[in-house]
Amino acid sequence: MSGLADLTLGFIPLTDCAPLIVAKAQGFFAEEGLEVALSREASWATIRDKVSVGALDGAHMLAPMALAEDGLLAPMALNQNGSAVTVSTKLAAMLREIDPDGMAAPLITAAPLARLVAHLAEQGAPPLTFAVVFPQSMHNYALRYWLAQAGIDPDRDVRLVVTPPPRMVEHLRSGAIDGFWVGAPWNAVAVDEGLGEVLIKASQLWPGGPDKVFGVTEAWAQRHPGELRAALRGLIRASAWADEPGNHAELVALLSRPDHVGVEPEAVARALRSEIVFHRDAAGLPRREHALWFLSQMVRWGQVESDLDLEAVADRVYRPDLFRAAALSLGPVLDPAQVFEDAAPVAAALYEGPAFDAADARGYAAAFAVGRVSAS
Amino acid sequence: MRVLVIDPDPARAALVAEGLAGVQPLEVRRAAVFDEREAAAFAPDVVVVAADSPDRDTLESLREAGVHNPRPVVMFVDRSEPGLAEQAVRAGVAAYVVDGLAPGRVRSILDVAMSRFALTQQLRGDLAKAKADLESRKTVERAKGLLMKERGLDEDGAYRLLRKLAMDRGKPIGSVAADLLAFAGVLKGDAS
Repeated sequence: MSGLADLTLGFIPLTDCAPLIVAKAQGFFAEEGLEVALSREASWATIRDKVSVGALDGAHMLAPMALAEDGLLAPMALNQNGSAVTVSTKLAAMLREIDPDGMAAPLITAAPLARLVAHLAEQGAPPLTFAVVFPQSMHNYALRYWLAQAGIDPDRDVRLVVTPPPRMVEHLRSGAIDGFWVGAPWNAVAVDEGLGEVLIKASQLWPGGPDKVFGVTEAWAQRHPGELRAALRGLIRASAWADEPGNHAELVALLSRPDHVGVEPEAVARALRSEIVFHRDAAGLPRREHALWFLSQMVRWGQVESDLDLEAVADRVYRPDLFRAAALSLGPVLDPAQVFEDAAPVAAALYEGPAFDAADARGYAAAFAVGRVSAS
Repeated sequence: MRVLVIDPDPARAALVAEGLAGVQPLEVRRAAVFDEREAAAFAPDVVVVAADSPDRDTLESLREAGVHNPRPVVMFVDRSEPGLAEQAVRAGVAAYVVDGLAPGRVRSILDVAMSRFALTQQLRGDLAKAKADLESRKTVERAKGLLMKERGLDEDGAYRLLRKLAMDRGKPIGSVAADLLAFAGVLKGDAS
């Protein structure tokens, strides 16, 4: 009736897919005239491929994945924070033994792990194995950052593997991996099952750091500007709804459903209480500085060609203009000031390491002691 | 031929084995989920996986890293999603099968996947070598420049000196040039 096309949107079972689930369940999409079907997908590669070929109109996506694939756009960020590094209880005990003070610090750096890694190498033991969710993910860059700050070379001193989020816990249980960096609720699930301990959260590594985006193709955005704006309006209202403490009980019930994330409500609730931000502090704004930080890490770890124009990629993929236009059009429904609060450029305030300069992402990438590029 | 089928359902592995009947030697192994160590131990010639398998992310990351014995991956795709297979090929899958797998086609699909994969690997290797050659040439140019400046040599003389150093040490000229530049950096106080 609205003249808008029906949409199919994809998601991976993670707490940060909430804006999509909420927009549908609370009727925000419907109020925008959209009939949306949600499709739970098994892997990030499938999400990327299905969006690229049009089997999905848009999806919950890893922000760096949108930057790495030709033809994708990120017109909205879905959340800040929410992921964490969890290690097996066995590894945690070994770390506590080798460096009790480091493990008792308010912010646990990888220094205890560096000592253990060196000790294991002396003994000729096999390297420890850590899992991340995808090569182009905040999780991969965050884990590498944290390891490298303590002098652990993530490509030489430990073994990094890729495991889909819902499989992380079973791999920790089987001993196939010693730890992982994954999004909520899977850290809480591992802790609740007595299998692991959280060492550092994304909100400690980089308070307010970026994570997932809503991704569509450039071609789709051009063909369906009305649908895109309607979808963004629905998602923005859903994000604001999801941030409201008064809605948390309902949000937890919604997300824990088997057809959504499908875990115990308590595990979903944990990250919502203190970690994930969906809307406030302009969390939905896809920030150019964030895109350039991700690209700097792709350079740092040798994932992109050395002549790639990073700023051109950031400006092509990250589209704060689309987000702003949709947010401003919501005026009467939602105070635009709330969306643009703190919308001036932000510094990438990581817990330690060189200062990030968005105007010199390559220089920043080369400024680290551990990495695959040098300053020459 | 060693084929690893990643599928919780044993039917697909059975079909693959049936289609390859007559190939000697043949070993078809099925695993419900992909395990990197298990796969490395088995060393398959080709991996077969469904498009909607959660293991795709893992397989893709192995191919991207270009380590751990990359293997051609054949993917099974549902007909209801047109274009998905082509996209998967762009993303690095070696070949795909849409819908029902006829045992008679198994052999040719796997053959195509393996030869296409070998070709891609070779192109990648050539590209890496071309880049390394270029890098080495740049290093030699810079070392020549340094010798011309520090020793007052002309270009030809600088090159002959580099070549002599390389022959005396039994090392490639690019590597001698890199050493020279590194030591020059240290002497100038650039300890990094």
